[in-house]
Amino acid sequence: FLGAGGGNDIQWCFSQVKGAVDDDVAEADIISTVEFNHSGELLATGDKGGRVVIFQQEQENKTQSHSRGEYNVYSTFQSHEPEFDYLKSLEIEEKINKIRWLPQKNAAQFLLSTNDKTIKLWKISERDKRPEGYNLKEEDGRYRDPTTVTTLRVPVFRPMDLMVEASPRRIFANAHTYHINSISINSDYETYLSADDLRINLWHLEITDRSFNIVDIKPANMEELTEVITAAEFHPNSCSTFVYSSSKGTIRLCDMRASALCDRHSKLFEEPEDPSNRSFFSEIISSISDVKFSHSGRYMMTRDYLSVKIWDLNMENRPVETYQVHEYLRSKLCSLYENDCIFDKFECCWNGIVMTGSYNNFFRMFDRNSKRDVTLEASRENNKPRTVLKPRKVCASGKRKKDEISVDSLDFNKKILHTAWHPKENIIAVATTNNLYIFQDKMN
Amino acid sequence: MLGRGLKRKLSDYEESMAGLSSAFDSSRSLSYPLKRQLVLNMCLTKLQTYKMLVEPNLHRSVLIANTVRQIQEEMRQESNQQPLSICPGIAPASHSYAGMESPGIALQLPSGVGQQESHCCDLRSVEDPIENSLLIVSDDDMSSAISSILKDLDFVEDISPPTCLVPTGDDQPKFPENTGLKLEDDRQDLKGAECVFGSFEISNSTSYLKDLAIDDIFEDIDTSMYDSDFCCPPLMPPRTPSLATEEPLKTFPSCNSSSANNIQICRTDLSELDHIMEILVGS
Repeated sequence: FLGAGGGNDIQWCFSQVKGAVDDDVAEADIISTVEFNHSGELLATGDKGGRVVIFQQEQENKTQSHSRGEYNVYSTFQSHEPEFDYLKSLEIEEKINKIRWLPQKNAAQFLLSTNDKTIKLWKISERDKRPEGYNLKEEDGRYRDPTTVTTLRVPVFRPMDLMVEASPRRIFANAHTYHINSISINSDYETYLSADDLRINLWHLEITDRSFNIVDIKPANMEELTEVITAAEFHPNSCSTFVYSSSKGTIRLCDMRASALCDRHSKLFEEPEDPSNRSFFSEIISSISDVKFSHSGRYMMTRDYLSVKIWDLNMENRPVETYQVHEYLRSKLCSLYENDCIFDKFECCWNGIVMTGSYNNFFRMFDRNSKRDVTLEASRENNKPRTVLKPRKVCASGKRKKDEISVDSLDFNKKILHTAWHPKENIIAVATTNNLYIFQDKMN
Repeated sequence: MLGRGLKRKLSDYEESMAGLSSAFDSSRSLSYPLKRQLVLNMCLTKLQTYKMLVEPNLHRSVLIANTVRQIQEEMRQESNQQPLSICPGIAPASHSYAGMESPGIALQLPSGVGQQESHCCDLRSVEDPIENSLLIVSDDDMSSAISSILKDLDFVEDISPPTCLVPTGDDQPKFPENTGLKLEDDRQDLKGAECVFGSFEISNSTSYLKDLAIDDIFEDIDTSMYDSDFCCPPLMPPRTPSLATEEPLKTFPSCNSSSANNIQICRTDLSELDHIMEILVGS
């Protein structure tokens, strides 16, 4: 658990912001996913235009020991292109829904990226040397006249400017009728799952022409459909265990050893509804938008529209902790339903401390130990490096204090849906609509 | 009003809806039935909007359909509990709905809801847009709205994407032709399955191919089939083969003719189709 440090809360400072400055957001630049790799050295973002941008943390500067390395662009590539399904006359969006890194096994890095229908395995490799001194070719590539060759030499590798190349190594296509919402790599590092609204498939990373369907909740008659899959993740340690969440606020834990088609869950996590909070929108706001395991695998965290819940895998009937992200929105649900904001899918992440996004470019942190929480804002106004972020406060009703912002003044177009936490350090990446903010804790 | 900074242009209807939802959220004087009616209408409007999309969002459609079901169930229970005759409270109350009436549209509230009478006076303060927007919605309307959107989503299943639809990168390694294999599990076998892998059935075809008789697969060479497939009766009369669709379409697997009629291409504008043809022909 990072940042406990004698009970001091972490003080987050602005570090960097990436992306266009203008208010006019180009649709293609909308960030749709953010993910650190296993070492934290690389930070990948995917956007609505199908591009992946990878940032690399520069090695720590010995003279600047008070700040961690900055992230700079390492590689940019077009992962997915828009497609047209001629048969159904449908456009398949190129938007990257999720990126997941594989653990590094050799010099190259591998990641999985997916849009609504197709998952791709990308290899990102560096080239910083090239062979020089060919016998039959000039340096510029032209072939030499063989009769002019009088001596032979062995080509040698000479250093060159670093070039980072991304190449697609596997394409996993045509296995999803509905839109893919999650991918999760198994702890065996050989298989992974992909989940769409109604089905979950299991793949082997080496095999692209075949996948195993492990969950199928499509009813025989679609008119009976009342629930869809919203997220899925493999257990971090147990390679036969995975969970998937639903639009009804339930999480099912399945064991692939129990049966080939995991339609019967091993565990069902569901909190009984609080009757005092019942409304027409109860079901909609109970829909889980993200599920994440803790590092140990003992706990999992879910995000629904208004809250974050921590579940103990040993207790199915209720979460062990619940954190209200923006309870002041509960009295605005009809308006949020009308403008479709109620369907926004917020993600969550944790590293001892729970982090999730909200509106008005606010994001929330919950310290599980001290039970304290804070609201921070990702804004260019705070963009002096090492400026400590000032906590923000939303005034739900009544007299608004100075520095508070009232609920009705919140900008619901500025949503933070995607956040990521560095696996080892207190560095967080927060995506606003088209900008990526990097914050780190104030080192003393 | 909530949603400052919303970029979309609000049409008149949407403006009144936004006003209504604000009223819902902020007003305590809106009666429960009225609120319910408002939510119901919003749901049905959304479902209707989704139906017009080529590919409705499944997640949202299901959530909205469930909300409609919930309201439907509630309204059914209320009408079951109370006698069917109009509650006397309604007749005089209708006078206090002054300003509530608008030509041709009556506000239908489930009979016998007790709070109605006490709230009827408050309704005078309700804005005009409410009565203009709330329509009579019957139980059948609700059921048919739900089934129609969900049936539309089922359409997606009948035809799997063809195998030729694979994006290419420059450094594309050669990979085996993906026929969209899905290992389907025979659920009956599960119960007595000794070996997990023994119960997997490698299906050698996409699901849509199973629906077709073997002869249908070869019918795509016949261009007259495409003329009827891509024809939508309300939009276009049966087209002559003069439209330059024949050549590019020969490479596509054929559609099951019955599902072709349901194909949402019917909703594609003529201009969109032309645009697509331009791309295909490369002009």
